[in-house]
Amino acid sequence: MRILVVEDDQNLNRQIKDALTEEGYAVDVAFDGEEGHFLGETEPYDAVVLDIGLPQMDGLSVLEAWRRDGHAMPVLLLTARDRWSDKVQGIDAGADDYVAKPFHMEEILARLRALVRRAAGHASNEIIAGSVRLDVRGGKVTCDGKAIKLTSHEFRLLSYMMHHKGKVISRTELTEHLYDQDFDRDSNTIEVFVGRLRKKLPEDCIQTIRGLGYQVSED
Amino acid sequence: MRRRSIALSLFVYSLAWLVLALAVTAFLLTDLYSRALDTSLRETLEFHLETLVGVSLSSDGGELPASSLADPRFSRPGSGWYWEIRDSSGEAINFSPSLIGTVLPELTAVFDADNVRTEAREDGFGTQIRMIERRITLADSSLLITVTGNLNEMFELVDNFRGQTFIVLGAVGIMLAVMSAIVARFALRPIGKLSRAVEAVREGDAERVEGEYPTEIAPLAQEVNELLHSNTQIIERARSQVGNLAHGLKTPLAVLRNESAGSRNKIAKVVLAETEKMSGMVSTYLDRASLAARTAVVGRKSNAGAVLERLTRVMAKLHPECDVEFQHSGSRPIWFRGEESDLEEIAGNLIDNACKWAKSEVRVSLSANPPNGGGTLAILVEDDGVGLTVEQAEKVLRRGVRLDEKTPGSGLGLDIVKELVDIYGGTLKLYRSEMSGVKAELSLPAARGTTT
Repeated sequence: MRILVVEDDQNLNRQIKDALTEEGYAVDVAFDGEEGHFLGETEPYDAVVLDIGLPQMDGLSVLEAWRRDGHAMPVLLLTARDRWSDKVQGIDAGADDYVAKPFHMEEILARLRALVRRAAGHASNEIIAGSVRLDVRGGKVTCDGKAIKLTSHEFRLLSYMMHHKGKVISRTELTEHLYDQDFDRDSNTIEVFVGRLRKKLPEDCIQTIRGLGYQVSED
Repeated sequence: MRRRSIALSLFVYSLAWLVLALAVTAFLLTDLYSRALDTSLRETLEFHLETLVGVSLSSDGGELPASSLADPRFSRPGSGWYWEIRDSSGEAINFSPSLIGTVLPELTAVFDADNVRTEAREDGFGTQIRMIERRITLADSSLLITVTGNLNEMFELVDNFRGQTFIVLGAVGIMLAVMSAIVARFALRPIGKLSRAVEAVREGDAERVEGEYPTEIAPLAQEVNELLHSNTQIIERARSQVGNLAHGLKTPLAVLRNESAGSRNKIAKVVLAETEKMSGMVSTYLDRASLAARTAVVGRKSNAGAVLERLTRVMAKLHPECDVEFQHSGSRPIWFRGEESDLEEIAGNLIDNACKWAKSEVRVSLSANPPNGGGTLAILVEDDGVGLTVEQAEKVLRRGVRLDEKTPGSGLGLDIVKELVDIYGGTLKLYRSEMSGVKAELSLPAARGTTT
């Protein structure tokens, strides 16, 4: 899962980025509205954390511009203005959720998880594919009730594919969504990680669709 | 200081002037009339005098017939109408029959260039008379011819005239007084209109003083509007400053909190604890600041139905697992007498809480009593969650109490709801809902729905 964080405060930006990275997300950051807007236009993000008070271009304008251009990724607004009139304005501009400063980092993480999950069309915190269960909240994977130990890269990969189960996912898409923009994308790491995952999971869990990519079956 | 009515002062002043002007008019008219009568009497007497002069010159030695003047008043004794012809020695040669039994008083005035003199005197009966005397110089002697007329008759006429004048002018005066009372009322009508327009602003029916006003009070209406405008601007500015302060303080607080939360360091723990305290204080006093700025707002009203519909739409996005149903009673819009953002704050927190606690369903309804506004509006928010006991409900309504730390959001937001409801003089009650959860019953002042 790849997340964009747009926040002008250097420290807060770093804190959110660190927390999200630790949680297993690939994170890009922007420090002003224009940069944030550009990244959101050009990169495929699974969710955005967007501050309202930004230099160059304010958060609501960035959000409206994205929505106008058809970018539908879930957006979590971050703001000090926590009156309902502000929230209504934010939601009407196209935001999906709202966190008021100062916040607990867990709250941002919980809201983001819910946004990503809902955007992929899952109603509950648990995504099931056959005998494999992914607990979005706890970041745990079980197979037939038995816990499976995964590295963070492996977890990211499985989590993305299970969020989009039933869909054929190309290697490019995986690279785009699993790594931030500074990552060296020429390597074959995806294949390596898929290979490792297959060893830890039931054999039929991840299928290779020749010439197109990978697929986690619906059930 | 005694409060004075402009209409009454206007009426009293105009009445005083009216009485004075009419009295002077009556006096002047009577005076003119009496002068005219006097002139006419003199002309009559001069005519008679000319007749007597003519007769005495044509007769010889002043031997005249007693009835040589046709006017019968000269025949009635003591009538005040007399004539007399005397020779140069003062011996009466001839006189009118009316002069029998009395004598004319002596004239003391000096003859003028035409040998005529006139004077008002009293005859032997005490009657006021006008006397005209002419001296005719003949070849060997001279004659004094005197004619008099009754002045009392004239005075009587003047008295009658005066009486009638007072009656007529009195009637005119009463009419004018009634008119001036009407005019005073009529002239002051725009002031009544202005006061109603200002009241409409206070009631929230208008944002500014509306209507056309005469040039005298148009500046007042304009000043009131300017005042309202600058008031609104001051409040807006105060609010935006509060907002800026909030943004400015909350971001560093968030940084401090996040930075210290992850560390087991002793300093970090202190920083975290103090940061929590500061955040609490910041939000409390920002709330208070914006509440204080709010109380000065007059004359706002907002469409409650539109606010609730918008909130319902927002809740559907924030709480997709919860089904929010909104019911608006009646077809006409229901107006809240106050700031739209305040109603949003109150209802938003209530519905948001209901959504957090609900299993799957929240019902919101809006009604007004009376339906055409001016009374109160009622907002009911019900959920199908676990519900509250009476003690819990009371506890929740006290400041800063959270029932369940696991429910997201900082506090229930009910403290600010309660303060806002108090400011608007409304009430908030929590019950156990028939849907098994909590029923929040909110009552707020409604504005009349005449204008938008």
